[in-house]
Amino acid sequence: MDIHPSHFFIPKGGIHLREPGVSNAKRIMPYLLLLPVFIYYAVFWLAPVVSGIIEVFTDSSGRFTLFDNFDLMLQSDQFRQSVLNTAAFAAISVVLQYFLALMLAVLLNRKFKGAKLLTFVAMIPMAITPTAVAILWKTGLVKEGWINTVLLFFNIVEKPIVFLNAEGFMAVLLIILIDTWTVTPSVMIILLAGLQGMQKDLKEAAYTFGAGKWRIFTDITLPILKPSIITSVLLRLIAAIQVWAIAVMVLGYGKAPFLVERIAFYVDVVPGLGTSEKIAFTLSFTTTVIVLLVTVLYLKASKYKTRVGGNR
Amino acid sequence: MDRLNIIQKAVISIILSAMVFIVVVPLLFFLSTTFASDVEMSMFPKPLLPRMTVTVKVVPHDDGQYEIFYDSGDGYRSIITTKNPVKLENHFRRQYSVTIPGEKLMEDFSRARETGPAEFTYSKSLLYNFRQFFAIVTNSLPALKNSIIASLYTILISLSLGSLAGYVMARYDFRLKNIINVSLLIVRMFPVVGISIPMAILLIRFGLFDTLIGLALLYSVPNIALTAWITSSIFIGISKELEEASMVFGANRFQTFMRITLPLAFPALAASSMYAFLTAWNDTISALILTDRNQTLALVVYKAIGTTTSGIQYAAAGSVILILPALVFTFIIRKYVSQMWGNVEF
Repeated sequence: MDIHPSHFFIPKGGIHLREPGVSNAKRIMPYLLLLPVFIYYAVFWLAPVVSGIIEVFTDSSGRFTLFDNFDLMLQSDQFRQSVLNTAAFAAISVVLQYFLALMLAVLLNRKFKGAKLLTFVAMIPMAITPTAVAILWKTGLVKEGWINTVLLFFNIVEKPIVFLNAEGFMAVLLIILIDTWTVTPSVMIILLAGLQGMQKDLKEAAYTFGAGKWRIFTDITLPILKPSIITSVLLRLIAAIQVWAIAVMVLGYGKAPFLVERIAFYVDVVPGLGTSEKIAFTLSFTTTVIVLLVTVLYLKASKYKTRVGGNR
Repeated sequence: MDRLNIIQKAVISIILSAMVFIVVVPLLFFLSTTFASDVEMSMFPKPLLPRMTVTVKVVPHDDGQYEIFYDSGDGYRSIITTKNPVKLENHFRRQYSVTIPGEKLMEDFSRARETGPAEFTYSKSLLYNFRQFFAIVTNSLPALKNSIIASLYTILISLSLGSLAGYVMARYDFRLKNIINVSLLIVRMFPVVGISIPMAILLIRFGLFDTLIGLALLYSVPNIALTAWITSSIFIGISKELEEASMVFGANRFQTFMRITLPLAFPALAASSMYAFLTAWNDTISALILTDRNQTLALVVYKAIGTTTSGIQYAAAGSVILILPALVFTFIIRKYVSQMWGNVEF
């Protein structure tokens, strides 16, 4: 489960004053206070990252090489498939989860009896740990599983389906559905928070002037929700590119290859070999570059500026 | 405003009922798996609710043996024929999760000698799968302890360093602030799997490989940045005048921070600690790379899923043990987290 912190990115009020004529001691104060964090990140983040990058651009005997490891990666098993799958997964799952989350948030935001209880029910999947989610769906997808029980009960299918035999795009689709079950609530809660903070008078005014429901939704609700939608889509996108655990636990390695799933494969299943380590390093380098590119493109496209830390 | 006609009401009810169905039904089946005995695992169709009892049909044979029949959805089938009480006891324990001494079973079955083939109903030992999980996965109890300790370390490191950074980002203006802000975002986005391998090499050098501190140091990487983001947005909201008033009345900066700022920022800290806890509690891949003997519970359960194809119900019991502390922790700080979520009522 990946819980989304995007709602924290909604800027809170408060005025930040710039003091004129600060002394020297005051100028270095923030750096002094940040020193422990700097040191921590230098040792436990920057050092591993740099040594990871060095690994990408050296061969097994330690000589510099620009493309050798990328060649290894490109020729490695299921690499192309994992890139395509990751792209399909990120695109489809984010759109699907957003559509569902927005629909549920709008419906649950109506004041009706039992709305609180239903919101609580909708949030339950957030609390289920990944291993439990995996077992839940694994026991469902086998031939004698509960999904076939339900499908047969409602006469949707005539014979049990063997879901775990799914291959290629169908396997990716299965993972998308499982991920949607798990993640949609955390997206919904962000949108719900945005909706509940919305002023009612705006909608009422539009209504008085004769706007229809759909018009109110597209012209008032969506624009107000825009900031929370943009930040949460970004975080969802970043998490989607890094999908792997659920695919491995439900289907096993190699059934629905993803970029990070490949990294885990080379670390977990075939460790020790010189090439597999190189491939793992190159894969994680590539994944990071993709994540960064997607972020930059996305932020450019949505003309969004980071607003945390008092810059506005 | 907002009057709905009957069709709209019907559509909304259908959507919401579908939502409840999709959330609740899989969870009920999961619960049913957690308490399922071995024979129930191969049963089809699957029961929606866990069964509390097991019913077997016993046919006595002339040579003193008893033939046991069990119905797993498609009529009674012969399972075992024996007169050995130890065999009977083992069979009932392993297949039906019924823990009754073999002699007692023989005594019950002897009644069938007079009446002919008869059905017997026994209540299942409900905690059987949980006991089996701890019995099969021998290192699960130390793993539970390891998980708790690693989570506490992670919360401690992330909160102390992260809230300090958040405070500085909110209260000071300085030249590199924008760069630091963006760097924190990059750190948060970076795939943790990517730094796990070089981190292992680093930790070996420090003598921290296969230690819980070493794990917590890795888990804190994304969480310090996250805590800084969360707390800085809250610290900005806490009025500076309040802090200044406190200092006018003679408190120094540290006292002000401890007595005024920190209590006001408590919701942010609670939310951050929840994310830190969940990172450490749920992670499997980093624990796989960075530990050898000091494994965490999530890793142990993950391995149990991978290795046991038949006994997945034991892994299910293990993952329930994994869910419970997370639920308790989430419930305790729910009040504060819901404050962070803009007071969403639930």
